[in-house]
Amino acid sequence: MSKLKSQQKATVKAGSAGNITVLNPACSSTMVERVPLTPRIFSSLNGKTIYLVDIGWGGPKAGYDVFEVMQGWFAENIPSVKTVLVRKKGSFHEDDPELWEKIKAEGDACIIGISC
Amino acid sequence: MGIPTAPCTAINVSEYVRGWDRLYGSGMPLRYTTFPLPIAGVSRQVHQRYVNGNDPVTGKPIMQEIVDALTKPLTADEQLTGLPEGAVEPRLLSPDTEENLQEFFKEKDWTDYLPVVLPTEERVAAMLKGTSHKPDEVVKTLMWPGGGRQLTVEKVAVCAVMAGAKPEYFPVILATATMAPFGNSTTSMANMIIVNGPIRKEIGMNSGTGAMGPHNRPNATIGRAFTLLSKSAGNLHAGVTTFGSLGSNLQYNNCCFAENEEALPEGWEPLSVQFGYKKEDSVVTVGTGWTYVSCVGELVTTYPPQMLIRDYMKSLSGMGSTALLCADPLVAGILYDQGFTTKEMLAQWLSKNVRIPVQQYWGNGIITTGFTNLALQGLEPFATWQKLPPDSLIEPFINPKTINTVVVGGQTNTIWFITDFMIRRGVSIDAWR
Repeated sequence: MSKLKSQQKATVKAGSAGNITVLNPACSSTMVERVPLTPRIFSSLNGKTIYLVDIGWGGPKAGYDVFEVMQGWFAENIPSVKTVLVRKKGSFHEDDPELWEKIKAEGDACIIGISC
Repeated sequence: MGIPTAPCTAINVSEYVRGWDRLYGSGMPLRYTTFPLPIAGVSRQVHQRYVNGNDPVTGKPIMQEIVDALTKPLTADEQLTGLPEGAVEPRLLSPDTEENLQEFFKEKDWTDYLPVVLPTEERVAAMLKGTSHKPDEVVKTLMWPGGGRQLTVEKVAVCAVMAGAKPEYFPVILATATMAPFGNSTTSMANMIIVNGPIRKEIGMNSGTGAMGPHNRPNATIGRAFTLLSKSAGNLHAGVTTFGSLGSNLQYNNCCFAENEEALPEGWEPLSVQFGYKKEDSVVTVGTGWTYVSCVGELVTTYPPQMLIRDYMKSLSGMGSTALLCADPLVAGILYDQGFTTKEMLAQWLSKNVRIPVQQYWGNGIITTGFTNLALQGLEPFATWQKLPPDSLIEPFINPKTINTVVVGGQTNTIWFITDFMIRRGVSIDAWR
């Protein structure tokens, strides 16, 4: 890309009579306000409750099964962690505000996925 | 959510979620962990290997990365607020030679990698004479992949020139642009563009012999323009903002054709009329789908066409209860003689007669992903279908209104295609004249 741009500039400087001007097919974009991440207030997961949320992509045995394996990993590696595995309501792209409120009230952290 | 969260994603959308989502979507520098694919349809052993393995993007152990995502203090960048600068695209590109510009357009991924007609000011001005609408009128704001890109009449004209269209095709291209961008899914979907009404003849579209092939300028360029504007104005690029694993060859032209209204059997209405337009209205319908299956050979007297159409429909996913039959007028005539005096009668028959084992229905990932959660929540018929024994037969095309027929072809053989393109009410072309 940069090589081509520089080629273009070089051609313009040379003032070639064969140059043409064309319209740009790309559209300008508007970016969204940046939102900071939630502060990490604990440096260890010891004794924490972690919700594992399956969004449902790939069916009932895809992300859910990965999270079951993760539960086993926590049990073996950080046994003081309490894991709660749940399925999100609706299809994978639908919001589930009730679940988010429940997790915020009862959990310390969340692992969510798996999007494809 | 207000608590530390570690989102997990598959590798196919990794670049999008790590970059574009912050710029155009959530605005958050989310700490994604990436998993290899496939995730669906593989054993527990594979999932164990993933969880105990490394993130294929960062190379770090996946579980350590998740623990870090939940516990490591925020960096300065992760605490930023405010609006970043948007990408401002100049109206004109720097002057250059035609050869350099052709290469530049390819480097920017603005083309289908066939030569384009370069959109000079003169050519774009000529294209704009094909409509009464002003160049700065917004046809549609493209929300995917973020950025609220305003697709103006002039931008559409640029892409119409690039595709090789004539100004008289421009109202059709503007109408299709209201349905932009093209289908975009890991499942490798595509689009189908069907034109009805007087404009078919006015601009010389092909609805007869070879209508679905590369034999006609308006068919070819209207369909191509839809892809070019999706890619360039819509900023869609493979592996970054589009995710079709195999992609679809149909996207070169989006299967653009006109219905052969003149050859419809008596009582069979044009597609646009079925959706509430008048015959004198010019309408474009943009469908989205995947599958395109030909009957291959001519009809035989021992097995009526509706039977073979029924059989072939069993190979479709049944997603959305959708099927679209593209039938040569000769096939339509034989179906008429079989007693289907309207397209709707054929749809009702197919809806009741296509039966598949329920395990086949749930055996398709797009059905499982889309409807399992709805079944678990009790929504019918999915809840009942999920409880049935695997060999139970179900009728997946439960809604005859989503089984449509379009008549196209030159009556050189009794050929039909069954497809799974989902269509809804089309868009007025007359509104864009």
